Amino acid sequence: MIFNSELSAQQQHTTSPVVTGGSVIALAYKGGVVIGTDTLCSYGSMAAFKNVEKIAQVSKNTIYVSSGEYSDFQQVVKELAKIDRSALQYDDGVHPSPRDYGNFLARLSYKKRCKINPLYLQNVIAGFHNGERYLALVDIYGTYLESNFVTTGFASYFCKAIISNYWNENCTLDQAKQVIRECFKVLFCRDCRAHDVIQLGYVDEQGVHVEQPERVETKWDFNGFKTRANEKLHTQ
Amino acid sequence: MLKHLYDTDCVTWSPQGKLFQVEYAMEAVKQGSICLGLKSSDYVVLCSLKRQPSELAGYQEKQFKIDDHMAIAIAGLTADARVLCKYMRTECLEYKYTYESHHPVGRLVFKVAEKSQHKTQSGAKRPYGVGLLVAGIDPNGVHLFETCPSGNYYEYKCQAIGSRSQAARTYFESWFHLFEKSTLEQLVLHGLSAIKKAIMEDEELNEKNVEVGILGKNQKFLHLNAQELKDYITKLEAFNPNSQIQQE
Repeated sequence: MIFNSELSAQQQHTTSPVVTGGSVIALAYKGGVVIGTDTLCSYGSMAAFKNVEKIAQVSKNTIYVSSGEYSDFQQVVKELAKIDRSALQYDDGVHPSPRDYGNFLARLSYKKRCKINPLYLQNVIAGFHNGERYLALVDIYGTYLESNFVTTGFASYFCKAIISNYWNENCTLDQAKQVIRECFKVLFCRDCRAHDVIQLGYVDEQGVHVEQPERVETKWDFNGFKTRANEKLHTQ
Repeated sequence: MLKHLYDTDCVTWSPQGKLFQVEYAMEAVKQGSICLGLKSSDYVVLCSLKRQPSELAGYQEKQFKIDDHMAIAIAGLTADARVLCKYMRTECLEYKYTYESHHPVGRLVFKVAEKSQHKTQSGAKRPYGVGLLVAGIDPNGVHLFETCPSGNYYEYKCQAIGSRSQAARTYFESWFHLFEKSTLEQLVLHGLSAIKKAIMEDEELNEKNVEVGILGKNQKFLHLNAQELKDYITKLEAFNPNSQIQQE
């Protein structure tokens, strides 16, 4: 393979993502924040990597997930880990709060967007600090929004109705998890790039808990599928 | 004295293991007028004595706000202090821009110390001729640091630097065990009492030559104005630390 040094010297700008992660849904509950994401990284329309664990713990009370270009996600995880390590370098025991990470990511995303070379990501940062829960969305432009619930990708279109009907910010952890599972059920049915294996992670006073991936309940034994309702129409 | 053989620049050690240029820089700090700081569990107070070069001149300010949660008091070369002050303010602004929160105090003092040390290890440079008392509040608590031209920094419960600061430090040694639980007013009065120990016989404290800055967990850095200073100086007459012990 001929290595063209002139071409590689040119800065390439991210115009479209290559390996992408799916929707992320995050909900605050009484005592913390829970995030759900599927375990798929798609290569265009191909479901290429089906066992990807995408919930990154960036510090002892902060988790970070994103949808979009997976390599950008990996890079951001490295950048955020650098900040946590700075406490070791300065030897002062000062650890950034979840909000510090959220703001840092917003500044980073905005800077890259201004250079027309964005981090192709919708980011979600969740944490628990000083008795308060924290949840924020940072998008591809560097917009920073703190909220009680966050959805990225297709979840923003399909799941908001489910969330507003079945969730409130003071529900229990199990209730919030159930809402997220329902949302991913719907997403698996309607989003072509979704997967039925999801992973949940939550942060509370005790810290970060990331659960094992689980398969979403799906139902395929509808009567319509079984009896092929339009059978008569086709044979006429 | 063979000092002059080894004191030309920072890159020469003396046989006794001293860097004379750095030591001379520390002398510049000792020649500056006194400034001191003391802290309780909720407040840090900085007090300094301002010098007036002549009757016609104003008084040289010695306390500068770095950010809402941090301030410095200087002793030594004012021009060098200005450079460090600008550096600290820039760092705080950048941190705030990136993280939307306050720069941890110890970390900024560390950065200043690194900067100062760099000047002590170079052929073409000289150390900063200024000592800073850095007062700050961050999630780790209430802090008072001292930085030196040598690049060292120390955290204190209370400290005084500048000329005749030993008198103030002696006052502190007697009373510092009361500071933790003192109210803001008591803290200021302790600070002013310590300064009073350090002034010359023919000088007196007034609202023009004294500077008091306060910083608290719920109090952004604030200079006391002339009227407040006058009130405190008046209260100084009646101030007796012993009564504070009886309260406890």
